[in-house]
Amino acid sequence: MEELLEILQDINPDVDYETEDNLIDGKVLDSLSIIQMINEICETFDIEIGPKWMRNENFNSAQKIWDMIQAIREEE
Amino acid sequence: MSITSFSFFFFVCAVLLLYFLVPRRFQWVVLLIASCAFYLSYGAQYILYVLFTSVTVYFAAVYMQGITDRQRAWLKSEGRTLEKEEKNRVKAQNRKLKKRAMLAALLANLLVLCVFKYAHFAIEQLNAVLRFLRVQPIEDRLRLIAPLGISFYTFQMIGYLVDVYWDNVKAERNFFKTLLFCSFFPQITQGPISEFGNLAEQLFAEHEFSYKNYSWGMQRMCWGFFKKMVIADTLAPLVADVFAHYGSYAGITTLIGAFLYSIQIYTDFSGYMDIMCGLCEVMGIRLTENFERPYFSKSVAEYWRRWHISLGVWFKRFIYYPIGISKWNRSLGKVSREKFGRKFGDMLPASVALVVVWLATGLWHGASWAYIVWGLVNGLFIILGLWLDPVYAACRAKLHINENARLWRVFQTLRTFVLVTFIKVLPEVGTLSEGWGLWMRIFTNHEIPGSLQKLLPFLDWSSLFTLSHFGMAMLGTVCLFFFSLIERRRPVRSYTEKWPMPLRAAALGCLFFLIFTFGIQNSWEGGGFLYAQF
Repeated sequence: MEELLEILQDINPDVDYETEDNLIDGKVLDSLSIIQMINEICETFDIEIGPKWMRNENFNSAQKIWDMIQAIREEE
Repeated sequence: MSITSFSFFFFVCAVLLLYFLVPRRFQWVVLLIASCAFYLSYGAQYILYVLFTSVTVYFAAVYMQGITDRQRAWLKSEGRTLEKEEKNRVKAQNRKLKKRAMLAALLANLLVLCVFKYAHFAIEQLNAVLRFLRVQPIEDRLRLIAPLGISFYTFQMIGYLVDVYWDNVKAERNFFKTLLFCSFFPQITQGPISEFGNLAEQLFAEHEFSYKNYSWGMQRMCWGFFKKMVIADTLAPLVADVFAHYGSYAGITTLIGAFLYSIQIYTDFSGYMDIMCGLCEVMGIRLTENFERPYFSKSVAEYWRRWHISLGVWFKRFIYYPIGISKWNRSLGKVSREKFGRKFGDMLPASVALVVVWLATGLWHGASWAYIVWGLVNGLFIILGLWLDPVYAACRAKLHINENARLWRVFQTLRTFVLVTFIKVLPEVGTLSEGWGLWMRIFTNHEIPGSLQKLLPFLDWSSLFTLSHFGMAMLGTVCLFFFSLIERRRPVRSYTEKWPMPLRAAALGCLFFLIFTFGIQNSWEGGGFLYAQF
């Protein structure tokens, strides 16, 4: 989780990722930030995030993103 | 059946009456029968294409769902005793089978779409090459007329198909329900392009009559008819006149024509959405919103997030993200990051995806070079906006511009409105060279007409009918502007709801009066919707 928070901070340091749970629907992160974040996550956690995971609900909070990473790891 | 005709009015009355009179479990059947009747009214032969799409997508989706369900049951019963390799082997095999089914249905539907939309264009291009090579061109004997709404329902069904493949939604096992999702009459001709997960549940659910839904829905429908019949249809012949004769009009007149076109296309498309969203609201169904006051956007990128939202979301989900996060694009980003720096490497994958998205958006809107260039110009502005953002920020800092100042925000909004108007007219005049000619006329002809009659020569100044209709369309546009300002906070209807009943009835009566006085003639003389051609 620490590594994920670092990636997120790097993309937009003005957000409190511990509490923010509306990252996409609240337009905190745009589609460019999401692509940058996905590419960082794939590299850092050595996983493949397919387009099937690209749904708003998977990216609305750091916890949701973390849950998605765990689900992908389980699936792999 | 024209949406602005009396036959549509009676059709809607009959559908609503039946919808709330039949036992609730049959409400979706009423919608299916109504949708088929609505589509058949445009020509019996075209429903075959809707059936083709529904049948192919239905069988592929059910087949994929069967594989997913069997795999789930197998893993549940034997998952603990199996080796990881064995599990992965079966999963990969199943994925392959699902992919084949998905691709077969996808390609079959894309083929139909491409034949109807792009065959003539492809033959034209081929002939241009053949002429260049001094070879006898092919005679285009195809007489294809694209089925109404083919781009909308094909994209919607492709979205559903891919969502089933990705296991985001469960496939619908009732064919007639799939057919309803494909053909639902309020959206089949011009969208919105709905996601199965958002719409299907509502379509098949049981809905009780609610006065609030009825009242809010009817108000929205009336406002939609006003936008379409009083504003858009009044401006349509005037804009057509400017586009046809811009060569003989002053640059300023052509510019006014371009701005009138911006008003026309917005009131036309959003008017349709208001009519259909209002109708669905009466039935307790919330359609996906397609507009969020787009002319108040502060950049071209923001404008496209607020105009035709459902198409933008579709492209984002099924083209932009799959390309943006693909392995090859990530590798491209990685290599360019090492060679040209972090910023470059971060921006490149998204920019590559944006080029493809905007090329596809251009082609989706029409088979012509004008639309392709229109799409790429939009993409260019969005990509430049991304890359030059640090430069803009530095300029703003140097000029001491307060980003939150009202004046600055007004400037950004006006700048974006002017920019999107210029981009918008490019494919609408006709060919690419005609669109370019219109741009040039605006920039190179600085003649100042000496009178209002010469400034607006597209108006018949001797006709009180034309002048009063144009005046009402302009007044309607001013009202639309102020309503949009109010809607930044909450819907206008939440204010009117608190009005005393007689006042609300009077306001609605007034709107009806204006539609009948200023709109009926317009819809008799034309009344088609601009987005229906896509």
